[in-house]
Amino acid sequence: MLVLGIETSCDETSSALVTDGKVMLSNIIATQLDLLKKFGGVVPEIAARRHTELIGYVIEEAVDSAGKALTDVEAIAVTSKQGLIGCLLVGVAAAKSLSYSLRVPLIGVHHIEGHIFANLLSNPQIPMPHICLTVSGGHTMLVYVQDYCQYELLGSTLDDAAGEAFDKIAKFLGLGFPGGPAIDKLSTQGNKKAFSFPRPLLRANTLDFSFSGLKTAVINAFKHRIANNEVLPLEDIAASFQEAIVDVLVSKTLHAALQRKVSAVSVTGGVSANRRLREVFLDTCQQKGIEVFFPELSLCTDNAAMIAAAGYARLGRGEMADLNLNVFPNTPLEVQGGS
Amino acid sequence: MKILGIDTSGYANAVGVIDGDRTLADYVFEARTDSLEKIVANIDFALKEAKLTLEDIEGFGVGLGPGSWTGIKVGVTVGKILAFSTNKPISGVPTLEALAYDARNTSALICPIINVGTKDTVYAAFYLAKNDTVNRMGEYYVGDIHGLSERIKEPTVFVGSEVQSYSKLISQALGSSGISIEAREAMPRGSVVALLAATRLECGESDDVLSLEPLYLKESTAKAFLSRYSASTQAKD
Repeated sequence: MLVLGIETSCDETSSALVTDGKVMLSNIIATQLDLLKKFGGVVPEIAARRHTELIGYVIEEAVDSAGKALTDVEAIAVTSKQGLIGCLLVGVAAAKSLSYSLRVPLIGVHHIEGHIFANLLSNPQIPMPHICLTVSGGHTMLVYVQDYCQYELLGSTLDDAAGEAFDKIAKFLGLGFPGGPAIDKLSTQGNKKAFSFPRPLLRANTLDFSFSGLKTAVINAFKHRIANNEVLPLEDIAASFQEAIVDVLVSKTLHAALQRKVSAVSVTGGVSANRRLREVFLDTCQQKGIEVFFPELSLCTDNAAMIAAAGYARLGRGEMADLNLNVFPNTPLEVQGGS
Repeated sequence: MKILGIDTSGYANAVGVIDGDRTLADYVFEARTDSLEKIVANIDFALKEAKLTLEDIEGFGVGLGPGSWTGIKVGVTVGKILAFSTNKPISGVPTLEALAYDARNTSALICPIINVGTKDTVYAAFYLAKNDTVNRMGEYYVGDIHGLSERIKEPTVFVGSEVQSYSKLISQALGSSGISIEAREAMPRGSVVALLAATRLECGESDDVLSLEPLYLKESTAKAFLSRYSASTQAKD
């Protein structure tokens, strides 16, 4: 079954064609990096306007570059849950129009479920059950993936998402946007033990995260040095800050894996592209005898291929939406259903 | 030509179907909330009432706004994806023009007013009717109602939803100037959008399907802030 996916929940306008939830024929992603750099982050109204401008082009390109015709498409999957409301509405409007015009089924997908499927698309061999860490600029979540489409949320961030903390610290240090790659790059030249930044909630008996205090600690360390006219080793600050985040993400994920007695973890979302995070995950998991999986780099950030893959799984369970499909900016992952 | 016209710039989904000068269906689905997600279902309903299918439609008209920013984004997206997927032409129609056309049986100046979502700001424009068409005189107006009142120099027909209250304010502002004004309540209609689109489509004119964009007439707050900010830093340089 040829599924066309659409994803517009935040700042990427994307469309993709995926066969049987497995073979990615195309995955077109138009980023708004120019706007993000200008504004230092996502401005919902501006992002939604850009989606309106680009949506037709990315759909056309997804179909053309897959060597298919629009009439070959057998179902439409679209992100309808979790994201910016104005942005979600544009994607859902396009998806319904296509579904209506092509007379093919429509399915609404939860954005986080999409990220879980990004990793399954890259690594179909990931065993069930497993623990999935979804970590990006918008969320930081630990999910127990019992089976396809069966989830239990174990923990999530109480304040900033990990990627958001990267962005904010990068902005503060004048490293630009997006912050993750900038900090990762600078960190390679720094000493990750130069500063001992806090690891929030690391020892606490919870699988929730908090990055706000860490952010403040970094900013305070920076200001303290400025006030005392000390040299500012930006690369050391960046490396130590990144190490603190990585430490928390890896420890909590492994803690969840041990607690649930699973033999595999998957890491997905924009931050899963982080070099140091992958390195530490690979090392630590090897020591503990746990398998770890990452999506290929093009599937880390928001994309429509993962939505098409998740949509295919949902359709296989007989779930389907109708033309009244609504958007839900804040629905939790466990709440599922066609519309 | 069978044309489907839609407008979602206000608090309603307007859907109309015409065939030449015959109106086959014309509905305004009113709802203050959650009406937007129903637009495609509304289109399906109107087509069924017109005893047509989407395949019978030869071209599309879509209200570009101004109006609710979310509304026009959804409307334009639906319009262009339907046109793209059926491989049929589309024409964008400024919603102010659709309102003006509805009031065309006058020799006075026609001034449609739209106020959606923006508290003290109205969108307006001036049109003159001639031979069953309306032509816009000058630029679009974006500002408060007092600024609009200052531009009224001759007899004018105001048209739009809740336009009665605006015409009272304007008539107070005009005072004893002796300029006669009239207010006509109206909402954008799908059949009018379709009709105005048809006049272009029948001449072989159309908009580029994929690049068609809403008529916002206002920058988002963040962008407006940024342009003021960069203007002031440039001034300092």
